[in-house]
Amino acid sequence: MRSRFHLVFVVFCFTAVLVFAVYLRSANNRIFFDLCSCRGEQSRLKQELGTKQLLLEGLINPAALSRRFDGINTNE
Amino acid sequence: MLLIGAFLALAGRCFYLQFLRNDHYIGQCLEQKQGRLPYKPQRGVILDCRGRVLAASNKVQFIKVEPRRVKDFKDLSSELQPILGMGAHEICKLINESNNPGYVKIKADAKPSECDAARRISSAVGVESDWQRHYPMGRLAVHAVGFTSLDNRGLDGIEYQYDKQLSGSAAQDIFFADVRRRPIRPAPREHSPADNNDVENAVLTNGVGIILTIDATIQQFARDELVRQYENYEAESAVAIVVEPKTGAILAMVSLPDFDPAEAHSTDPDNRRNRILTDEFEPGSIIKPLVAAIALDAGAVNKVEKIFCENGNYSGRGFGRIGEYRRGFGDLTLREILVESSNIGMAKIGQRLGKDKLYKGLRLFGFGKKAGIDLPGEADGLLRPAHKWTGYSVTRIPFGQEITVTAIQLVRAFCILANRGRIVRPFLVKAIVDNDGEITELKRPLPPVGYVVKPEVAEWIVSDAMVGVVNEGTGKRAKLDKWQVFGKTGTANIAKSDERGYSDSDYVASFIAGAPVEDPAIVVLVSIRKPNKILGKGYTGGVVASPVVGKIVEKTLNYLEYRYARADF
Repeated sequence: MRSRFHLVFVVFCFTAVLVFAVYLRSANNRIFFDLCSCRGEQSRLKQELGTKQLLLEGLINPAALSRRFDGINTNE
Repeated sequence: MLLIGAFLALAGRCFYLQFLRNDHYIGQCLEQKQGRLPYKPQRGVILDCRGRVLAASNKVQFIKVEPRRVKDFKDLSSELQPILGMGAHEICKLINESNNPGYVKIKADAKPSECDAARRISSAVGVESDWQRHYPMGRLAVHAVGFTSLDNRGLDGIEYQYDKQLSGSAAQDIFFADVRRRPIRPAPREHSPADNNDVENAVLTNGVGIILTIDATIQQFARDELVRQYENYEAESAVAIVVEPKTGAILAMVSLPDFDPAEAHSTDPDNRRNRILTDEFEPGSIIKPLVAAIALDAGAVNKVEKIFCENGNYSGRGFGRIGEYRRGFGDLTLREILVESSNIGMAKIGQRLGKDKLYKGLRLFGFGKKAGIDLPGEADGLLRPAHKWTGYSVTRIPFGQEITVTAIQLVRAFCILANRGRIVRPFLVKAIVDNDGEITELKRPLPPVGYVVKPEVAEWIVSDAMVGVVNEGTGKRAKLDKWQVFGKTGTANIAKSDERGYSDSDYVASFIAGAPVEDPAIVVLVSIRKPNKILGKGYTGGVVASPVVGKIVEKTLNYLEYRYARADF
């Protein structure tokens, strides 16, 4: 009876370790996938910021300001 | 026997697969399991001296279609139409007329929402991203900054000169992918990352940033004034350059006609030339202060003696006949020769100096060789060796004929004068910064290594003779109330291209000036080629170029004064 109990216990532990190993492996994969996604998102946000910065530069650079002042003077 | 044979065949097959074809099958297996994500480096930024963006790269998304995987072009076009805001017939036409069955670009610069929606429609629709170069200031500093090709290689200006540093190095991520090609684990690197050409193992390095000495505000002043005069006089071309004489830092460089860098590929190649560096011209009278400085330094003339200027008609054996531009003169001092811009006076100074001293002096001022600026395409100019000179040469070169120069050489020579005879080398790149914004290389001006002419000679030419040109002579239109300007005009005839001699209608009108005379902060050169004489507005350096220089000097000094005042505050 005791030896049967031992056998069940060993099989149970062995199965639990296997399930845990599989879980760890899939968690690792999932985290890596999340990391890649976050990196992509970060790069997209960075690019969006870059686009906005360029847009701003296009509006406030001396050439654009001069053009706008010329326009105001002409209208006046 | 049959069984043994079968086992042997099986063993043979195993050996073949395990040893002979091992690499092939491992490769195939990895191809299936691994995914690759290539990274293109971001091209470095180009900034002006105050950190304003002249050129920068930004990622843009393209929506693409793989025509061979599309079952019905019309259906796909109709589905894409509302998402992309394009006509279905237009999309259908693009897919139909594509020569490449694997790729057709449908929309460039697509918004993220468009990309997400388009991707969901069909597996034949994909999204790709690539770097695109932007020039927020457009044509303002286009000849200095340059432009890139469609594949982001520098083709002109700083973009070309510093292409390697701006480009950075590409890399790619290799990872194990699941059945839906989603990355699940990074793949181990196989080689050492030491090999720079090995993209698989390289580390992604974005291009470095380059800070120029150009100030966009001064550039705008110079361009505004030059464009106005260029259009008023219907000139063929025009250049303007503003330099800090103490260091040689170029604050502005404008070459007209210019072009929009975003449309560089469809622009006339002639407009893409930076004429400040590439175009050689006979300088005319503008060179006179330099020859006078050489003569004074060599002791061939002094400040007080009078030189007889032959009442406007000087001829002799071996050097032909020399006349004046407007009227003849009698006895003139060196100062008066420069103020009145007498050709005969300068020819006589040339004869006294002799060809060897004149040649050496002009070489020391940097003529006949590149100024060494960090831009491509610079011309040498033409200053023939002294042993090839004729009797004409020694009398013509002192008033700017038989010698060709570039605008950068001319401005460099006058910077030397303004810098009390000390050598100056013009430069355009101030610093190189890495991706964290740290300065990795600071370009310093040339150390003060020697003098081209004695400081007192350079000072007299600048503060006496050249001031006289502006106050009493041909450069009056550049006179300012707030600052004392020094300068020299030049009106050079252009040699005929089809026969000997000079054209009577084509001129290069130039004016070079600096201010304030006590401690020159800037030297400005404006040179306008072929102003239209028929308009009757004038064609000389004093009329066409000097007002432009006056305005540039005034605006720039006001601006610099304000800038330094703010810095002190």
